[in-house]
This record gives sequence, C-alpha cells and structure tokens, in this order.
Amino acid sequence: MVPLKQIDLLDETFSVNFMPDLQRLRSSIEEIGLIQPVLLREKQGGYQIVCGFRRICVMKELGNPEIESRVLEKNEMDDLRLFSISLYENLTSRGFNTVEKAIALEKLVHRFQADPLAVTKNLFPLFSLESNEKILNTYLSLARMEDEVKRYVLREEVSRSNIRKLAALSPDDRKDLLSFFSSLKLGENRLREMLTLLEEISRRDRCTIREIVHQPEIQAILFQKKLTPSQRTERVKKVLMDFRYPRMRQMEERFEKKRRDLNLPPGASLLHPPFFEGKGLRIEFQFETLEEYRSILSSLSQIANKKEFQEMIKEGKEQRA
Amino acid sequence: MLPFQIEKIYLDEKAERDWVSQRILKTLSHVPVERIQDKRALIKRFFSEPDPVGAGKRHLLITRFYGRRLKPCPGTSHHICCGYYVINALTNCPMDCSYCVLQGYLNNPFLTLYSNWDELIQEMDLFLSASSQAFLRLGTGELSDSLALDSIIPLSQVLIPFFARREDGILELKTKSAEVDQLLDLKHGGKTVISWSLNPIQIIEEEEMRTASLKDRIDAAVRCQERGYPLGFHFDPMIYYREWEEGYREVIHSLFHRIDPKGVMWVSLGGFRYPPQLKAIAEERFPKTEVFLGELFPGKDSKFRYLREIRVEMYQKMVDWLREIDPNLFIYLCMESKEVWEKVFGWAPKNSSRLNQWFNERVKEFINRG
Repeated sequence: MVPLKQIDLLDETFSVNFMPDLQRLRSSIEEIGLIQPVLLREKQGGYQIVCGFRRICVMKELGNPEIESRVLEKNEMDDLRLFSISLYENLTSRGFNTVEKAIALEKLVHRFQADPLAVTKNLFPLFSLESNEKILNTYLSLARMEDEVKRYVLREEVSRSNIRKLAALSPDDRKDLLSFFSSLKLGENRLREMLTLLEEISRRDRCTIREIVHQPEIQAILFQKKLTPSQRTERVKKVLMDFRYPRMRQMEERFEKKRRDLNLPPGASLLHPPFFEGKGLRIEFQFETLEEYRSILSSLSQIANKKEFQEMIKEGKEQRA
Repeated sequence: MLPFQIEKIYLDEKAERDWVSQRILKTLSHVPVERIQDKRALIKRFFSEPDPVGAGKRHLLITRFYGRRLKPCPGTSHHICCGYYVINALTNCPMDCSYCVLQGYLNNPFLTLYSNWDELIQEMDLFLSASSQAFLRLGTGELSDSLALDSIIPLSQVLIPFFARREDGILELKTKSAEVDQLLDLKHGGKTVISWSLNPIQIIEEEEMRTASLKDRIDAAVRCQERGYPLGFHFDPMIYYREWEEGYREVIHSLFHRIDPKGVMWVSLGGFRYPPQLKAIAEERFPKTEVFLGELFPGKDSKFRYLREIRVEMYQKMVDWLREIDPNLFIYLCMESKEVWEKVFGWAPKNSSRLNQWFNERVKEFINRG
C-alpha cells in the first residue's frame, strides 16, 4: 500500500487520459473496492504513476489515504517499455477514445521516440485502425490541437477526414470556428461541407475564417433566436455557397428576377439547365383537374408574348456575331 | 540536365532483348536495375507507398505491350472532340502538375515504357494504311509528356522519320519540356507538329512542377520553327485566377514576339476540367494548389468545369488576342459543347466528325503550303 500523498499526481508522463468518464469506475470502486493494483515507479521524493491515473483520482475523491500498488524501481525499465505496458493495460481494460489514441500515438512517436512504422504495424490493429502513415499523421495532428478542439472532436464524433481539415487551419481559425459551430447543428456531412466552404473562401480571398463568419449576412442568421439550429445551419450554408460561388449567385439572381416577372401560374415552375450548362429551359407544372390543366396552359401560352420570356430564350441561343 | 531523376529501373525479363531496352540501360548505366517477372506484383507493392504517384515518377518500368496501342483519344461525352488518335508508347510523366488527370487515371504509377517498338511501327503502318479516313492525326502526349524523357527514351527518333515518309498521317509531339536537341537534325518532312502546353508564368511556377519555364518552352519552339517544324500551342488547361487576363495576354505577347504565326498549325483552348475523383488526390499531393478554388461545376460528362459564362469570357478574349496576332490562326476548343463554340466563334462544327474534317483540311493546306 502506498500513501496517496506520496504519489505525484501532476506527473502525466505516462497518461493519455482525456475527458475520462469516471462515473462507472467510481461506482465500481465504491461497490466492490479496487480490483487491480496501480503501477508506480519510484522517483525522487515519491512515486510516478505508470498505470492507474483514473483509479488514483477516484480513490482520492473517495477520501482514501492510500492505494494498493505495484512498485517498480527507478531504473527497472525504460520509459518506452513502461508506456507500452500502460497502453496495453488500458487497451485491455477500457479502450481509448479518439483523442486518447491521438495522445498515445503522439507520446509514442515524439516523446518516447518509437519507430513510426513499428507503431502503425503493431499498435494500430489494437486500436482497430488500418496500418498507414496517413492515419498516423491524422492522429498526430489531433494531438497537437487545442483542448477545446479535442473536446469538440470527441463530443461530435468528428471523422478523420474532418479532423484533417481542422488540422489544416490555424489555431485562431479553429477557435473562431468552434464558436461559430456552437449555434449550428452539424452532422458529419454538413461539417465537411462547412469546413470545405470556409477553407476555400479563406484561401481564395486571402482572409481569415473570423472575417468570413463575422460577415453581416452570417451574423444576422446566428442572432436570429427564432430559428432552430437546423434552420440556422441551412441558411448559413446558403450564404457560404453564395460567397464561394459569387458568379453563380449572380446568374441565379438574374434568372430568379426574370422568373418572378413572368408571373407564372400557381403550380408551374420554370427551370434552367443544371449549373446553366446546356441549352434551353424547362417548364414543369402540376394539375389535378382538366380545368386546372387548361388554365395553366392558357397562362403559359400568354407568357410566350412577354418580353422577359423571349429574352430568356434568346439569351440561351446567343452566338457571337 | 533534366529536372528529374530516375532512381531505379524495373526491367521485365521479356523486354530485356528489345533494342530500345538495351539502349536505355546503356544511357542510364548508373541507375540500379531490378529484373522482374511479375509486373502486377510490383505495381501492387508500389500502391502501398504513401505517395505512389510521386514515387512512380522516379521509377522506370520497361515492359512489353500486348494489344492495340493505337486508340482514339477518349475525349468526352456530350462534347465536340477532334478525332485524334493516341499512341500508347510511354505512360505516365516525370513532371508533376497539380491538376494532372493522370494522378487519378492510370492504374500503374510507374513511368512505363513499352519497348516492343518494332511491333508498334508495324501496327501504325497497318492502321494508317487500312483506315478509311484519308488522313489521321496521332500523338503521344495524352498519357505522357511526348518529349520530357526523349534524351533517354528516343521515341522521336523512330516516330518522326516514320511519319516523314507517310502521306496519310501526321504526328503531334506535345510537351511542357524544352527537350528538343535530338529532334533538330531529323528529316521530318513537315509531318510532325511539335506543340507546347502554355500557361502564364505564375501558373507554371505554382502548379506545373518540374516543367520547363515559359521562356525555355518558347526558346525550344523557336529552335524547332527554325528547322521547319510546324508548331502547335495548347492553352489547356486555362486557369481562371485573379490576374488571368494579364497573365494570358503576356504569354501570347511573349510567344508571338518570337514565333512566326504562319508556322503554327493549330492553337487549342481548353478551360480547366477534371473528373470528380481528382480533387481529393490533387489536394492531398499539393495542399497549396489553388486550381480548385474557381467556380467549377459538373457538366453532362460529369467532369467539373468553370461556369459556362466564365469559360466563354476566357475563350472570347483569347480568340480576340490571338486574332490580333494573326486573323488566320487555326484556333479550336478542346472538349467543349456546341453552345460554347457558337458563343465564342459564332458557329460550331455540326459534330466531332465535322471538326475532324476541318482539321484535316487545315493539315493538308499546311503541308501543301510547303
């Protein structure tokens, strides 16, 4: 038994914990006590934790003065071996969340100088990961991100491809993004779309993400309390699409104005080719009765005499003189 | 000195006795050689590299090709195409352009030379003789750069004399290099067009890695023109970037300051376009590329292109600038729709077959001019 006072709780050399959920562990220890001793290493003035950070934390919260431990001598094993023991012990008992995997890999490769190839070959299968360098780099980049971002990644179960997109941003941009995302409802695909749009606008216009999300059109949407997060998300996406594709937006606006001026009968729509690529226009209409059908046809044939309609048709056919 | 190095040669045992294999091994005697029996296993091994495309560019696979090596250029559906034929003698490219479709197109990452050239010549002979068309245009620049490796792989030394003797075909060698030394003394008979892909200096520097500078490409073109080679120029892909007008105007000015437009067989214009799967591959390999930042949307052939309005604007201005140089320059659009042709030129070929015919008339006129 080792007094908790002698254990250096600030020494996190071998820890990979991030947002640990201690509730279940606490219940278990309260109910049946500590099953597995923790693993400590002797150091000057006390003990360094190798395995058992969470158990020690819970025991301390429960007011226990000491804890059952297995103690290693100071130079009994090197750091890499100790860290590996710690990882394997955790893998078998509880597994790791995404951020903990990132922290583990980052410590292995950079702190304990493990060979990256050996890490992907030996450890990745235990993490249920495919052994490849790209995945390793994704986790290493996550380990370097701010705690706020890591919490977001865990909470929203952000995919690796989106983690890579976040990694490509500056810390300031990431911070602004999280604040921006807090009022939106983003699943995996929407997150990817938003990140792509923001990143591309930022690079094209040589501006920061902050400058984009602080545009009046976006701020106006974020401050609309009556909107649900989903509605807010759709509207923000539309604004970002307009920023990203300004000429397309102008073409849509011109088309929409002409369409409105036509005063189409209810139930009828006038459509341009997808992305204005191709010839011609398309009219679609719905009807339920013969009268409706005749009424719509009559309105449509009158539209043929409208200048706006003729211009729309002519525009599609214009050739260089 | 070439701006790229071959690190290793993989020699298919079946190709070892071909004279061109022996020639290359002699030229690259300092490069390690590994003899292989199963190229599929080798290719599979390479695809597990972190960047198989990049790694493949530094490795030369010499093997034989069994099958047809002359095929129509794939072109694209719903668009007008020119009826060109591709000679598959060398695939992949040692250069590294961020927008290159070969990154996502080839299922073999290596620079690959098909060394059974005698059979290639026979195939071309039969193909040209048997064709119902009076005249065919063939080239090697679709799956590779026609001249980048010419000092090592002397394909031009075989193809140019072959076409010089023909009355039924013309060869195009399309390049972004300045590798023309080995062509200059060949008797070409006016039957080989040497053509260059061109872009503004900023685009070349930022997006066309390991290619010759604009100045070097123009210098090479001048040397070829002095030896009587007909020339071609391809503004393809055109990139719509902030300073695009200034950039492309400057290219045209620099080019025709030194090149006689009367010696230019054709000029093509093509807006940047790409199959959907290319973007992820290119952005991973070139994180700083800006070519995908334009307003690009999928067309009827699923390829992403600039908004039609943007393409028409670019083409119209380019045509105007080129016509200021010479109103008789033969200018065509690559992989474009009839609508775009009409908006740019005021007319369009009725279909691909008519465009092909127009080309052939141009070639005959050029050759007869002497």
